[in-house]
Amino acid sequence: MNDQPMWLTFLFAFLIMNVLLIGMAYMTYFERKVLAGMQDRMGPTRTGPKGLLQPIADGVKLLGKEDLIPRFADKWVFFFAPLIVFVTAIVGVAVIPFGGTIEVFGRDLNLYITDLNVGALFLLAFSSIGVYGVILGAWASSNRYSLLGGLRAAAQVVSYEIILGLSLVGVFLLAGSLSLRDIMIAQQTNLEIGPLTVKNWFILSQPLAFILFMIAAVAETNRAPFDLPEAETELVSGFHTEYSAFRFSFYFLGEYIAMIVISLFASTLFLGGTSGPGSENHWYLGVLYLLLKAIVFLFFYVWLRATLPRFRYDQLMGIAWKVLLPLVLLNIVVTAAIRLASDGLLF
Amino acid sequence: MPWEVIIFYFIAATAIAGAAGMVIAQNPVHSAVFLVICFIQIAAVFVMLGAEFLGIIQIIVYTGAILVLLLFVLMLVDPEDLPEFHVGRPVQRAVGVILGLILLLEVATAIATRTITGRQGNATLENVELVGGNTQALGRVLYTDHLLAFEVVSLILTVGVLGAIVLALPERLGVRSYKRKDTISLAHPRGTDIALPAGEGAQVQTGLSSTAVAKPSGVGRRLIMSSDPDEQPVTGGGRQ
Repeated sequence: MNDQPMWLTFLFAFLIMNVLLIGMAYMTYFERKVLAGMQDRMGPTRTGPKGLLQPIADGVKLLGKEDLIPRFADKWVFFFAPLIVFVTAIVGVAVIPFGGTIEVFGRDLNLYITDLNVGALFLLAFSSIGVYGVILGAWASSNRYSLLGGLRAAAQVVSYEIILGLSLVGVFLLAGSLSLRDIMIAQQTNLEIGPLTVKNWFILSQPLAFILFMIAAVAETNRAPFDLPEAETELVSGFHTEYSAFRFSFYFLGEYIAMIVISLFASTLFLGGTSGPGSENHWYLGVLYLLLKAIVFLFFYVWLRATLPRFRYDQLMGIAWKVLLPLVLLNIVVTAAIRLASDGLLF
Repeated sequence: MPWEVIIFYFIAATAIAGAAGMVIAQNPVHSAVFLVICFIQIAAVFVMLGAEFLGIIQIIVYTGAILVLLLFVLMLVDPEDLPEFHVGRPVQRAVGVILGLILLLEVATAIATRTITGRQGNATLENVELVGGNTQALGRVLYTDHLLAFEVVSLILTVGVLGAIVLALPERLGVRSYKRKDTISLAHPRGTDIALPAGEGAQVQTGLSSTAVAKPSGVGRRLIMSSDPDEQPVTGGGRQ
């Protein structure tokens, strides 16, 4: 892990960051096309072939807009709040493993930025710092709708973070590690279900944790049906009401990058990461599988947005504390008991 | 390794600047932001010392949960309701400075003479590597040697959570929420939100002038307690 020169890691990180930014731009295109298909519309068609240049046009338009700052806004906080959301979202990708070590031009290159001992917690920690961007931006706008959105975001993220963290404990128990690379490697073993021999993806042994994780992940990224902080119909888009131009685009970027990173995270934790037919021998197949799995999750996000109405606030809190929390604790207890029993330590 | 030293000094300087800013800032929300900066930098120091787990937990627990709730409260407090600082109270200021200096002196002496070393454990770098990293090492120590203390801490935290729930409960258990004795609402009974123009000739007001009357400034809206949300409260708008 430490045999790689620093500049190579930085180069790889830079590459990943730019891929992520482009991925984010085309995530908006993907979302609009899928939403349009679900609502029997065309979606963007005008800019470029099949509207493929639409995200670029949107980006240029956003950067060209006037940057408005409300007179009573707290200028410094107003200025850096969107940056917090953006940076914390993009930093999460540092612990996602895209494969093992490959040889490029005679040099060993790790297909991950860092293999942190506590990779999964690192991602959770940065997603919990991300909420500062939302609540500080909301407060600094000195707008009541924004403040309400910010307060909702704070309460929602703190509640669902617990579910998100605890739903992973089952996976940690089975893998015996918090490192995403170890978790991915732990899923390479074979599992026999009757006549079938399949890879031991944790979605098979932790189905409840997977469902809970997905619910909490949608809430954590403030997406529909948990998009109460920016509920357009009640709060006039909530915490970013007062933001315009490139400051708004940072919130926008942050939200979509957080979605992409969480999708990569979920694929690594529950769907075996890069595992798939032929991925042991060809690293590019592994990367492809990981991206395909992430796209499945991203499709799921869009699907939810097209299908479900927004939750009411008390329902949101009720679900977290009265339904999801007991379930997630049950999952931990059962997993721990099974783990102990399989080691012959329980009885 | 020089670059590690450079990074350490950068982190340390930012942490100290964050701590200083937290004390100096006039606005409580700014103080909270500076404290966040300080905490994150301290977490970075933990990571540099090879204690990734402690660093990340520091961020998740203190920065991600506790400070968010603190900020939550601070944002709702009107700055004018806060006690003014640096004004009056000369005794408190003097005592504060003296106590602060004593604390600083104590810490400086402890560092200078290295009298606070504690009991040396067996957590050397090699031993930590042997069990597979500092997360595993910490887990082992926590769940074997210090199991009792760990359980006692969990119990205390549970008591704290229960206490908070009991304090927040508006009524005795078993009473349904719609039968609440008191409810908090803004003092504008239904239908009287828009004040009618009063006095002679008021009816002929149209256009801009009527909208100007329609929204009297929010001064009249007081936070009131009424036993029924639909009841016309005696205070506030009910008297109009």
